[in-house]
Amino acid sequence: MTEPIAQQLADLLGRDTVLMPDGAGGAANTPELEKYAVDGLAPQVVVQPTDRESIARLMQWAAARQVAVLPRGGGVLSALGNRPAQVDVALDLSRYNRVLDYQPADLTVTVEPGVTLQTLSRELARGGKFVPLESPLSHRATLGGILAANASGPLRHAYGLARDWLIGISVVGADGVETKAGGKVVKNVTGYDLNKLYTGSLGTLGVIVEASFKLAPLMDEWAALAAPFPSMDAAIAAGRSLIAQVYAPQGLQVVNRPAARRLNLTADSAAGAYVLALFAGRPRAVGRRREESARLLGQSGATAVESLDGAAGQALLRQVTDLGWSDDTIPALGMRVNLPPTAVGQLVAAIVGESAGESGAELGLVADLGFGVAHLLRWPETFDQAAAGNEEPAGDAVIAGSLSEIERMQALARSMGGTVVVEHCAPAVKARIDVWGGAATEAELEIMRRIKQNFDPLGLLNPGRFMGRL
Amino acid sequence: MQRQGFIDRLKAIVGDDYVIAHPEDLLVYEYDGSVDRAMPRAVVLPASAGEVSRTLALAYQEGVPVVGRGSGTGLSGGALAPPGGIQIAFTRMNRILEVDTENRTATIEPGVINLDLDNHVRKFGMRYAPDPSSQKACSLGGNIAENAGGPHCLAYGATTNHVLALEVALEDGTMVNLGGPAREVPGYDLRGVFVGSEGTFGIATQITVRLLPLPETVKTFLGIFPDIESACSAVSAVIGHGIVPAALEMIDALSIRAVQQVTDAGYPEDAGAVLLIELEGLWEEVDEVSREVESALWETGAGEVRVAEEDRERERLWLGRKTAFGAFGAIAPNYYLVDGVVPRTRLSQVLRKVSEVSEKYGIIIANVFHAGDGNLHPCMLFDGREPGVTERAMAGAAELMEYCVAVGGTLSGEHGIGLEKKQFMPLVFTDADLAVMRRTRDAFAPANRLNPGKIFPDDDGFYQIVPQPTPPPGDTGMYV
Ligand SMILES: Cc1cc2nc3c(=O)[nH]c(=O)nc-3n(C[C@H](O)[C@H](O)[C@H](O)COP(=O)(O)OP(=O)(O)OC[C@H]3O[C@@H](n4cnc5c(N)ncnc54)[C@H](O)[C@@H]3O)c2cc1C
Repeated sequence: MTEPIAQQLADLLGRDTVLMPDGAGGAANTPELEKYAVDGLAPQVVVQPTDRESIARLMQWAAARQVAVLPRGGGVLSALGNRPAQVDVALDLSRYNRVLDYQPADLTVTVEPGVTLQTLSRELARGGKFVPLESPLSHRATLGGILAANASGPLRHAYGLARDWLIGISVVGADGVETKAGGKVVKNVTGYDLNKLYTGSLGTLGVIVEASFKLAPLMDEWAALAAPFPSMDAAIAAGRSLIAQVYAPQGLQVVNRPAARRLNLTADSAAGAYVLALFAGRPRAVGRRREESARLLGQSGATAVESLDGAAGQALLRQVTDLGWSDDTIPALGMRVNLPPTAVGQLVAAIVGESAGESGAELGLVADLGFGVAHLLRWPETFDQAAAGNEEPAGDAVIAGSLSEIERMQALARSMGGTVVVEHCAPAVKARIDVWGGAATEAELEIMRRIKQNFDPLGLLNPGRFMGRL
Repeated sequence: MQRQGFIDRLKAIVGDDYVIAHPEDLLVYEYDGSVDRAMPRAVVLPASAGEVSRTLALAYQEGVPVVGRGSGTGLSGGALAPPGGIQIAFTRMNRILEVDTENRTATIEPGVINLDLDNHVRKFGMRYAPDPSSQKACSLGGNIAENAGGPHCLAYGATTNHVLALEVALEDGTMVNLGGPAREVPGYDLRGVFVGSEGTFGIATQITVRLLPLPETVKTFLGIFPDIESACSAVSAVIGHGIVPAALEMIDALSIRAVQQVTDAGYPEDAGAVLLIELEGLWEEVDEVSREVESALWETGAGEVRVAEEDRERERLWLGRKTAFGAFGAIAPNYYLVDGVVPRTRLSQVLRKVSEVSEKYGIIIANVFHAGDGNLHPCMLFDGREPGVTERAMAGAAELMEYCVAVGGTLSGEHGIGLEKKQFMPLVFTDADLAVMRRTRDAFAPANRLNPGKIFPDDDGFYQIVPQPTPPPGDTGMYV
């Protein structure tokens, strides 16, 4: 069964474009294909196009045969979403990766989807510009992937999300037809704003083949503060009062002790939590923000205020963004909770309050107080510890622990007007849950279903992975 | 008989006083700010989301198309009803329901006027950033539908960057909440794609927007230039310097003279163009960037640079900008406004084209616009009583739109496509592009009962073109 598909695609797109199983038999198990597995399901073939005509031809071919296509960029965020309903072709876009049109004077850039954030940022810096997007593992994460997964980082408080910077998009649809929306100008109401629809749609509506962004001037200066606090409550209170000031930082995170340990924050070994403040901008303004913020944190009960300049500040920013995604920090369970900003404090209080004797003590927590998002992470050994007292084997402890944690978090978030997305969990857990767990109402889901139906009637693009198993 | 029955049933929903169906009473609902006219069959003035929903359900059953109407300041015919269609107007749904100072959000009804919201939240040290020049009159519902911009959208983004949640009535009256109080919402971004859908996806009955804290320092610059070319190079110099001001607006020579005739904005009569630049932020930021802005203005040939930090002085610098539209009334009785956007580095090239078009078609064209984001507003000024002149103005506008697209720009930066620009959509989009947009609309409004006949070029046009009068001279109620 495998050979024909790979062979057909090699004939259609050329041998260089198709990752052929080496040797005839047992092709589906070759290690190369395994690298592209999603939730343990390896594709039958991997296609690595370098032009959009090949993408269009692939999609036409797939539509005619009802073959499922899973687009991907650097594979950084490919664990997001529910277990796919069908996995046939992995469409690896990382080789379709040129910067097509960079206009520093117009503050715009147009790229192919496979360019990595790091490569793009370097190129933009040469012209003095900056795209305020963030993603875990920016050396691997592609712009197409960042858009599809709606990745973000601590600067989201000041700069918003990918949706706020994307100005134009071209997509090859499930029918193999390329279409566009938006354009290359920074302000545009010509036609519906489909940029918004594609952003965060996890590749379920089309394959992004080109994207245009507006840009910001490159930041002259970066800096950060890391301030340990005796308790999470004290850190949250200080963080909230800081974010309300005129001199507020561009990004503000509160991390609890288990997360701080993973971030190698060591200023105070007794600290219950840290406030991390990130600054970017003009030198004098960064200077004042940092000074006044440091003073306020000191007055609010920080046991120390460590000041990081330029490179160290940016390194910390990267570490926070990568937490949970870099090899040594991948959790057994990872959840993103989206909340109104003030509810983040409430959520944390609820978790901390309950956790005294329970698993919560080992729950890593990174909370963005300005924007309103909290990442909750449990690393494998914490489940094992929790399970040490009982007879269950470790794997079952992870499953049972994850399921109850997810349920608890969904209920908490819901009561606060928020939503939970499970970003990491064991395959056995994923098999039992909807990772988007009730984040939309039935009326919204109905519109989403119709969108999916109208865009991809055969359900061939990333089938089953999105909200409502679309 | 059947017609009367429908009106009576509408009255049963909102009350006798709140259905307008007499032709004379309907006259004011026949137009918006554009050149198109169309008489609605009736106008319904609901007081609540429930009444909106029931009105839609009834119209849906009866096969009657429905159009939302805010303040009717739209410039693309968006609020005009198709034949036999009704308008739902939001004059009565104009309450600010909640201001959350901690999360910095406001929840409002769709009929709230943009400036009323901004003034209200300023009491709490916050602002609603999108500030269309029509903000004294336009409604938030209209802003959502058009994804309105404004001078300060250069730094803060247009309406879409500020909308968190929408309560929406769909074409059959079903209510749905899009988005939510959190900034990030998983799933397809329905609220994002709703903004700018020009009333074709649903009727917004409640809106939650994001507010921003007021800046510590605001500083305004007025650069006076000998000609429009040097003013354009100043725009490029500022942006090229890595400065994105809060606002960057341009006023051309013709507008300057018009302004000076109705009020003393302090502009020299012989100025070729004026740039208005506003910086906002921390004192240190503004101070540092100020120097760069000033030197960019001098280096590109400004003959004079005025600076203001104090509110009253700043208002004085803005006076000319805000009076320009009102001053056009002294030049000609009618106007037609083009809304093309181009990459900022193409501004001077496109403004040369504007002069050519003015010559070629014999139409006066004034330019007052959002230069910082490349959003032109060539304002064609003419006397609609003169035979053939309206058609010439429209032909000139068409040529300008084509040109904007040819240099890498597009048809509309903030006013929307509506009726007025729909025949130009093929300049930008292929049939396939438009088909995908239709598919999106069909997911929200499968029967296409909301604001049909807009946006898409092949949908029937059934509207009469009547030139729009310029405002009375000296009017500063709205500017462009
Ligand atoms: C002098 C002048 C200056 C202007 N300056 C600017 C500017 O700087 N920036 C800018 O962007 N625009 C500007 N405009 C255009 C106009 O003011 C905006 O488009 C504004 O958003 C329209 O709001 P409105 O309440 O008048 O809407 P209307 O004209 O009444 O309606 C506009 C559209 O919104 C729809 N609509 C209204 N309410 C709802 C609702 N509750 N739910 C769904 N759809 C609804 C209507 O169906 C219609 O399609 C200007 C207009 C004038 C006359």
